[in-house]
Amino acid sequence: MALINQATKEIQLKIVYYGPPQGGKTTNLEKVHAEVDAPPDAKGKLTSLATNSDRTLFFDFLPIETTVVRGFKTKFQLFTVPGQVIYNTTRQLVLRGVDGLVFVADSQYEKMEENVQTFANMIQNLETLNQSLENIPYVLQYNKRDLPNAAPVDYLDFLLNNRETQVPAFGSSAVAGEGVFETLNMITRMLLHKLVTESARKAA
Amino acid sequence: MFDLPFLIDEDIAALNAALGDFALASGARLALLIDVGGFIVTQQGDAGDMDTTTLGALAANNFAATQAIAKIIEEHSVSSLYQEGKVNSLLIQSVADCGFLAVVFPSELGVGSVKFYAQDTVARIAAQLAAARSRPGQGLDTLEVADNGPLFRRK
Repeated sequence: MALINQATKEIQLKIVYYGPPQGGKTTNLEKVHAEVDAPPDAKGKLTSLATNSDRTLFFDFLPIETTVVRGFKTKFQLFTVPGQVIYNTTRQLVLRGVDGLVFVADSQYEKMEENVQTFANMIQNLETLNQSLENIPYVLQYNKRDLPNAAPVDYLDFLLNNRETQVPAFGSSAVAGEGVFETLNMITRMLLHKLVTESARKAA
Repeated sequence: MFDLPFLIDEDIAALNAALGDFALASGARLALLIDVGGFIVTQQGDAGDMDTTTLGALAANNFAATQAIAKIIEEHSVSSLYQEGKVNSLLIQSVADCGFLAVVFPSELGVGSVKFYAQDTVARIAAQLAAARSRPGQGLDTLEVADNGPLFRRK
């Protein structure tokens, strides 16, 4: 549900980072905020609504902008959802108006069940908003590749990337900043591609 | 819940007029039109140093949370949310199921008069959005990506 403002020449897009608890969603936003090479006015404040123990309660939010679309300021709003199951209603709220998704999976063997359950939960929550993965661009990020008990990428692909159309997947170690920007650049490219294609269709 | 339509100059001018008239009549400091995802469509008034981007995101999610709470307590007609402060207060009013009017106003004004003027404003905004929605695709630019390299680089 991108917002295209012809008058102010602004495009606004919402990307939500989804995934199991403590999988690295917030870390992704923290790394983007800390390490993106952008002028100060192109990067907003990172806002985190978290519990006392730094677990996401509602969401994290980071606005960031570029001028990649000719003649338009392009603003991306990055959100995370809380990973804990008890906050499922909150996840649904944060998904409202989503344009693109990053599913941050935890590569550790013992987290596979949670990964699969959370992925299914994401699909269910999209359905409550009359949305589906067929019409929302998404990428997978297999996080925590640096840990010794990380499952092979092929196994994560088998579990999470086995739909009719496979999507881009990135190995990452978000705490080290590895894979964070590759993931962000891919989802933003996919969103822009969709936007450009749709604008051409609507303008015709 | 609806998507916002594409907005052209004429729409933004009309929306700005509605928000500007409202701010003048009500004495509000700032009036913002926000979509359900938290994007600011347009705003009128004095934002000063306020981080309106974050305000938009928080207000939209706050309102969505209030509506979810309302459902739990079997109340299905919550259309506004009021946050009372000592200096500035905030009123968020639903607009045609596709956005919100968020109003920052001096607390001394009282919410009653702000709500009164907001009613008309919400109707004006809804009418303009309906006009934009019914407009065929003309006037839209074909979007073109200027650079095919990575959008965001690490320092």
